Amino acid sequence: MSLLDWLVLGGTLLFIVGYGTWRTRGSHTLDAYLLGNRQAGWWGIGLSIIATQASAVTFLSTPGQAYDDGMRFIQFYFGLPLAMVLIAAVAVPIYQRLQVFTAYEYLETRFDRRTRTLAAVLFLVQRGLSNGLSLYAPALVLSAILGWNVSFTVWLIGGLMISYTVAGGTRAVAVTQQWQVAVIFTGMVVAGYLLVHYLPAGVGFTEAVQVAGFHGKMNLIDFHFDPKDRYNFWTGMTGGLFLALSYFGTDQSQVQRYLSGQSTTESRLGLLMNGLVKVPMQFGILLIGVLLFVFYQFNQPPLTFNIPVREQIAQSPQYARGLHELEKRQTTLFLARREATTELVEALQTENAVLIAAARTHLQTTEAATRGLRTETQTFLRQAAPTAEAKDTDYIFLSFVLRYMPHGLVGLLIAVVLSAAMSSAAAGLNALASTTIIDLYKPSRPHLGELHCVRASRWATIGWGVLGIGFALFAARLENLIQAVNILGSIFYGTILGIFVVAFFMKNIGSRAVFRAAIATQLLIFLLFFTTDIAYLWYNIIGCALVMLLALLSQKTSPEPARAVARPV
Amino acid sequence: DKPPLLDSWRAWYALVMAALAAELVLFLILTRTFA
Repeated sequence: MSLLDWLVLGGTLLFIVGYGTWRTRGSHTLDAYLLGNRQAGWWGIGLSIIATQASAVTFLSTPGQAYDDGMRFIQFYFGLPLAMVLIAAVAVPIYQRLQVFTAYEYLETRFDRRTRTLAAVLFLVQRGLSNGLSLYAPALVLSAILGWNVSFTVWLIGGLMISYTVAGGTRAVAVTQQWQVAVIFTGMVVAGYLLVHYLPAGVGFTEAVQVAGFHGKMNLIDFHFDPKDRYNFWTGMTGGLFLALSYFGTDQSQVQRYLSGQSTTESRLGLLMNGLVKVPMQFGILLIGVLLFVFYQFNQPPLTFNIPVREQIAQSPQYARGLHELEKRQTTLFLARREATTELVEALQTENAVLIAAARTHLQTTEAATRGLRTETQTFLRQAAPTAEAKDTDYIFLSFVLRYMPHGLVGLLIAVVLSAAMSSAAAGLNALASTTIIDLYKPSRPHLGELHCVRASRWATIGWGVLGIGFALFAARLENLIQAVNILGSIFYGTILGIFVVAFFMKNIGSRAVFRAAIATQLLIFLLFFTTDIAYLWYNIIGCALVMLLALLSQKTSPEPARAVARPV
Repeated sequence: DKPPLLDSWRAWYALVMAALAAELVLFLILTRTFA
């Protein structure tokens, strides 16, 4: 990073944090602090929803995933637009009419306090842990690529995020998110443009897509159903739909974005904007990964993009020679593959079928050899650095940025990653504080004044922020923890969604039935988790269906009156 | 509250789903053409 990069990075981050804090200072009521006085317009809500979902992992992992596995990850988002429509039609009018602060508050008007508390606690456990990890993931990659200290990076992201979220609450989160989205979109458009610009003469966008297609990277739709494969049309339309319903409909970090809308209309339009934008946006990010793949057909990639692992092995007397041997073979193979790829591009431009077929055969031969070398490399890396992560896809995009982007733009792209980390973690932090105060602290202390609750919300924000930082620093010592936290989310989401589906659609079910059903479902899901190998994505649907079924059975066996219509408190 | 631009909320919901359908058709064409 040059001085110019540091200036761009520091200037961008400080401007966003400073502006957000200054614009939203002085919130003295709960309505102002937790919901921005319910003044948000549809475009602000839409941007906020997009920014909350787009974490640093989105911009680190997604291009790497497309580089490795092609565009098929896009199918995971096919259920999202329908989820936006369902939430806009069903949940938004109820939340708006009741003027609730949190989604779980509604559960008390529909069922009772213990059901509300159960859903709130499940949310706090899951979001509290995953929020910490969303600070750790970018810190890990930045430390590997830039040599930054992991703890320093976690404190940098966490400290900046806590400062403006504590000061301005929900409105500070929304105001900063608008600028963060602007930085993110600018950075990604510039990266995409430069990638095409850096391709050799005679290789334009169309040729790049053709080369990517030859390597199987343009696999946007797959109608073959396989429940163990997360990325096909059917899992996207079912598992993806239920995941989106859980995340956008019942997760306070998202619900709080559209609860701050000035009317049902604004909240609905904000959600529908997300439904219109999300799939094209993911398409764009994945396309950058595919263009990266094509770029590295003409420019030699490193043996592994995880540079510290390579350096570590190069220092080892036992494995250094093996590493250099592999790198020598990789160079020979790369030159052959570049020649074959160039031959294919030239053949495609002549539109001569015989030439194209010959070029394809030539490229297939080099591709088979490349695949063999890749497998051999993976085995070697696992042997030489058993504690390191063998998968290097998270490092691909930033490696390219650092090595090939001009000065100034490197700083901008690092700002993209840090902005994304802050935009999603700040929304999570803000939601954790709201749920803690509104659903757990305030209900048992009805005499508390408004100012006291605002102050308590600020302290809750600081508390969850410090807890998140602590958890991120702890995660640095425990790799398996990351996987565990991601699984934890899937395990709780189905139960929470089930409670809300019963609340919205099954008007005759009472509070006792749904509470029993939720507890039984959660235990059954734990049992399934420990005894089967069902893909985590399906826990959402299974959990939701179980709560509905068990609540119905419980209501039949021991009837109780239900509060059928949600009423304002 | 009536939505802006379109006559009803149902029209808005149909618009979002129509956009998804158009994207799916585009993706299908790209997959068939290049993959």
